[in-house]
Amino acid sequence: MSSSIIELRNVSKTYSTAAGDFTALINVNMNILAGEFLGIVGKSGAGKSTLLNMINGVDQLTSGEVIVRADNENISIHTMSEDARASWRGKKMGVVYQSFQLLPMLTLIDNITLPMDLSDNYKPRESKERAMQLLQLMELEEHAYKLPAFISGGQQQRVAIARALANDPPILVADEPTGSLDSITADHIFEVFEHLITDQGKTIVMVTHDVGLVSRFSRSLTIADGELLSEAVPDTKLNQGRKK
Amino acid sequence: MKAPRVKPINDSVKKNESASEAMIELRGVVKRFSNAAGEFTVLKGVDLTIDRGEFVSIVGKSGSGKSTLLNMVTGIDHPTDGHVVVNGSDIYTGVTESQRSKWRGKNLGIVFQFFQLLPMLTLLENVMLPMDYVDLYDFDERPARAMELLKLVGLEKFANKLPVLVSTGQQQLAAIARAMACDPPLLVADEPTGNLDSRSADTIIQLFEGFVAQGKTIVMVTHDPSLTSRTNRNIIISDGELINETISKSLPQLRHRHMLEFTKIAEEHIYLPHETIISRDQNIDYFFMIRKGEVDVVLEDKKKKESLVSRLQAGEFFGEMELLRGGKSIANVRAGDQPVEVLALPRADFIRVLDESPVTADAIRKIVQSRLEAHKVADQRSTMP
Repeated sequence: MSSSIIELRNVSKTYSTAAGDFTALINVNMNILAGEFLGIVGKSGAGKSTLLNMINGVDQLTSGEVIVRADNENISIHTMSEDARASWRGKKMGVVYQSFQLLPMLTLIDNITLPMDLSDNYKPRESKERAMQLLQLMELEEHAYKLPAFISGGQQQRVAIARALANDPPILVADEPTGSLDSITADHIFEVFEHLITDQGKTIVMVTHDVGLVSRFSRSLTIADGELLSEAVPDTKLNQGRKK
Repeated sequence: MKAPRVKPINDSVKKNESASEAMIELRGVVKRFSNAAGEFTVLKGVDLTIDRGEFVSIVGKSGSGKSTLLNMVTGIDHPTDGHVVVNGSDIYTGVTESQRSKWRGKNLGIVFQFFQLLPMLTLLENVMLPMDYVDLYDFDERPARAMELLKLVGLEKFANKLPVLVSTGQQQLAAIARAMACDPPLLVADEPTGNLDSRSADTIIQLFEGFVAQGKTIVMVTHDPSLTSRTNRNIIISDGELINETISKSLPQLRHRHMLEFTKIAEEHIYLPHETIISRDQNIDYFFMIRKGEVDVVLEDKKKKESLVSRLQAGEFFGEMELLRGGKSIANVRAGDQPVEVLALPRADFIRVLDESPVTADAIRKIVQSRLEAHKVADQRSTMP
């Protein structure tokens, strides 16, 4: 049985707006297991991106706790200062968004090297080698010295994933990573994610509005109006090893 | 035409900028792509000069070549043929990719439709990033300068937030602050408001107007008419070729392919001050569009006393009444106090295109109608004893 790598305890998030208070998350309790590919599915405004921002510590919670148990540490991430959390996130979590946000003026390899240079985890020479390995993993090594404008959207998203993996985080969180891609290109992204889970032991949490993707996850949770509703565990190849 | 003074890019540190030089010069720029389907020419020999301090919009249909044109200016893509001189440097001749990259950091700010902020860095850190690549500011002064820029775009309160926690309009403002990080003389933007609501778009255009007032040059690709109306020059690209700006200004309702056709067949005529362009009762064989200078439309009474019916400016046209109604000129038309440059379009071509373009024909008919009424009034006055 897998252990819990992320635990949410009674997490609530309330925003104050001109129109009054708005509660985006209501008392969410959940466990994310090490090595799973968890999908969080919900409509626009359901609270799924807010939930993701709680999990990666990008946004502050109103009450509750998020505990991350990675690399033999056990940390309640919202008790850290903003700076400490940013540096913790840089090591433990890779983040991928719908728009790839590659820097247009940097080659692909420089885009991937950037987080390593910023974090000081790797020496410059190592970071270049590692970036090349990640490009190989994404089957993009022949494009290493191209600018993002010269590769397709799907390829750009793979570079963004490679960048998210730059500092070798155990957890990857993705917000609609296939949202602006066609279905064939999206398939390729899922293959990359599946490889990261089965061969590298990463944990991936992905948010989407697309119910059709549920069968791709090893487990999915539905969120509506800030509350978790149902859980689904499809019979996919990701689960077959687990069920034995 | 004066040949651009071209300096090798790697001497850019030594370069002695003169304020009279153009900011951007494209000479005979050709871009060809090859793919499985064969060769495809996206830019077919583009000549373009953009002066310092201009605020220019580039418009064109999807596939017209507008983004490729922009990529020629930023050095992101390479021309197949021709020269591109930006801020005094020939950016493709004898220059390596890394030299160009360095040059770009100092000379260009670039803003894209999707803002390309790094998700793991705060807004402040995102704005500081270009300064790390260009050695213009001391390490210690970078945060303060980044904060100044965030203040300028109204985001100082959000300086320490991650991009995902601010609105898309605010993300684009931060991307603009980042583009200005190294104080470049030229800002290039590709659909900078394409992803935003109209209020955010307006904030951005006001910001751009402020930069232009400070002497920056801005070139942006857009298809948003609320932006093109605020720039001081509008360049249209159609099928890889630039449309003559006098034609697009004079006949904005015309379809792009017709504008392009006119661009290819129009003749350039120059008249000296007060020189007659059309005499009354003369048959008219051309439709005229004014490129430069003023043109006077004058009526004569029986005693040869003249009265000025109208004074036409650059971007206006004449000759259309006779071409549409048939018959001879009802007025004398001549150059004003300065030399006049006009584009003249042969009668047959003008009539044929109007037949294909009802919107333009309609617009011109309305102008004819109002001019006829003005002439009638003037005619009565000038024929009065």
